[in-house]
Amino acid sequence: MTSFDAKWQQCAARARQAVLRDENAPFGFATRIAARAFASQPQSLESVWQRLALRLLAGALGALVLAAAMEVPHLRDTHPLEPGVADTVAQLVWRL
Amino acid sequence: MADSEFDSGRCLERVRLHDQDAAAALVEALYPQVIRIVRNHWAKQSDEEDLAQEIFLKLFSRLDQYEARAGIPLEHWVSRLAVRTCLDALRAKGRRPEVRIGDLPEEQQAWLDYLAADESAPPDSAAGSARELVGKLLAKLSPEDRLVITLLDLEEKSVKEISELTGWGQSLVKVRAFRARRKLRKLAQAFK
Repeated sequence: MTSFDAKWQQCAARARQAVLRDENAPFGFATRIAARAFASQPQSLESVWQRLALRLLAGALGALVLAAAMEVPHLRDTHPLEPGVADTVAQLVWRL
Repeated sequence: MADSEFDSGRCLERVRLHDQDAAAALVEALYPQVIRIVRNHWAKQSDEEDLAQEIFLKLFSRLDQYEARAGIPLEHWVSRLAVRTCLDALRAKGRRPEVRIGDLPEEQQAWLDYLAADESAPPDSAAGSARELVGKLLAKLSPEDRLVITLLDLEEKSVKEISELTGWGQSLVKVRAFRARRKLRKLAQAFK
């Protein structure tokens, strides 16, 4: 060990004795980090599927309501559920 | 870890379930360890909280990686994450501060005299002045050299521990430490 190395070690040893400042987290730091961590965390595959499934369900319900609304004008017909097509074969099959 | 009663395994389980209180408890428990590393490697007191915050946010975003590697104590994994984040921050900072002998307080000048000249007895000054001078000299080194000297001489880690923390081979750690001390000697002498 050179003279400098020995002196450096002594200087470092003295530096290690320096009084450490408070090592506790500042007030509110932990809560802030916890909130930010969850806010910025990527979503899990499960939650992505859940959101997609809910949107699909809402879409399907919308389509159902729309189809029902289109059928309402035909409810007073003699055969309300008869297909609205002028197709002989289809009408025959329907009556059978 | 500051609180010996702290059950990190149970806390991690709750964090995994997005329990915000558990996450805050984890931060509280790990903060002393993280801030000690930040203060040893990062001289600017004004930025240390920002750097600690960056480390914790990385910790939460990479928690899955820790869980996948069973057998490694949480504290060890956090130390490695903190050391590497500090190294990245030092690299990003780039410019090294200018230190002039005339700007140093008398007590720090005495330590510099001891290091660079023929003074045989170390100055009888407060440990804080030695700490500040060491910080100023280390700030002049490259991030890698600074890291290795901080870990070896201030945190008293072994070469093996430093190798694990940094991912560098043990030979590289020894070579870097040798070169870094040589640069420190030149720096100290350049002041005189």
